[in-house]
Amino acid sequence: MSDENISTGSSSEEDHVLVAEYVLGLLAPAEHAEVGARIAIEPSLMAEQRLWRLRLAALDREFADVPAPAGVLGRVETRLFGRSEAGGFWNSLALWRSIAAGGVAVAAIAIGFNVLTPRVDPKLFAEQLVAALQEEGSGVSFVALYDPTTASVRLTALSGAEVPDKDYELWAIEGGSAPISMGVIPVTSRIDIKITPQVLAGFGEGTVLAVTLEQKGGSPTGAPQGPIVAKGAATLI
Amino acid sequence: MDGPAEITELLSRCALRDRQAFGELYRRTSAKLFGVTLRILRDRSEAEEALQEVYVKIWQRADRFVAGGYSPISWLVAVARNHSLDILRARRPQSEDIDVALEVADTAPDPERAAVESGERSRIESCLSELDTDKADAVRGAYLDGYSYEELATRHSVPLNTMRTWLRRSLLKLRECLSA
Repeated sequence: MSDENISTGSSSEEDHVLVAEYVLGLLAPAEHAEVGARIAIEPSLMAEQRLWRLRLAALDREFADVPAPAGVLGRVETRLFGRSEAGGFWNSLALWRSIAAGGVAVAAIAIGFNVLTPRVDPKLFAEQLVAALQEEGSGVSFVALYDPTTASVRLTALSGAEVPDKDYELWAIEGGSAPISMGVIPVTSRIDIKITPQVLAGFGEGTVLAVTLEQKGGSPTGAPQGPIVAKGAATLI
Repeated sequence: MDGPAEITELLSRCALRDRQAFGELYRRTSAKLFGVTLRILRDRSEAEEALQEVYVKIWQRADRFVAGGYSPISWLVAVARNHSLDILRARRPQSEDIDVALEVADTAPDPERAAVESGERSRIESCLSELDTDKADAVRGAYLDGYSYEELATRHSVPLNTMRTWLRRSLLKLRECLSA
């Protein structure tokens, strides 16, 4: 008896079994990748995958708790939030300091935008807040610089494209409060956004700036409705 | 393990880059997820390494959960389970070294989820019990232990193709029962 002999009947039955095997993890690498790619584009297979996942997840209870070895969280945190050398490009305090200290021209050219205005005094800038707004997989990223002398945020798009019938909207999230809209923003140019008193009241290190994709003209409800395409916390440099 | 609502909230805060929430999420869920990686990988140091990668992914993809709508614990287990299976798959002899993307449930919200979930457990149990015991065991072995067809065939002392045929038929039967 070979597997070719299985009378699975219709091709959809064949697909049902394939997706079940996929979810269980029984397929060889090449086939696993192939089925995964099909699931991503075929809604019926996606629904099938959901069915199996949801049903099989009921077995999750059978995984017994085993206390994790000490030190794992520390290593994860170092990797994710790390010290400057471990934190990657955006989290690198050294990089931002070097930009602030005068590496401006080189760094700004390297990323294709003039991030800073030349008139900013480096000492003043050194006390400014910066936020790198990005999101894995979205392709949209911004850098935001807070200028306390004008109470404004200079937002520069580093990457991203306009989406038909949609607008990007900027939000400030302060502490545990609901996001406050800072308005619709362009993705193709730089913009200076005057910070409203409402936002300014709680604005500081740790304030999260997030960009969502909203309907044309921005969210009509005053609360974000679309997906977050970029976000980042303000950091003192 | 804490209630789903609390885990959901911690995941949402992770999506907003709340590091404290991440630490809290780790403290509440790491024993469960270590249980998953250890059971599937069957090697303590590998399981520890995997756990580390799993939490990196959880932090990076926390917002997908928020957008998804899925039991938070199932979602976390799925990340740990899929990661462990990827490791096994890459290690198996027939491996062709294909980089398989993490497949976690970034699916559309399911409004029936909460109501359905409580019934799921008894449902899968009763559907599995309709299968022959060894076939139900094979399904469990694949899901909970990450056994391949080869390992299942060895464990049940049947030829590989027989195991494949068995299991595929059982899955169809199981599906019929589960979607009834």
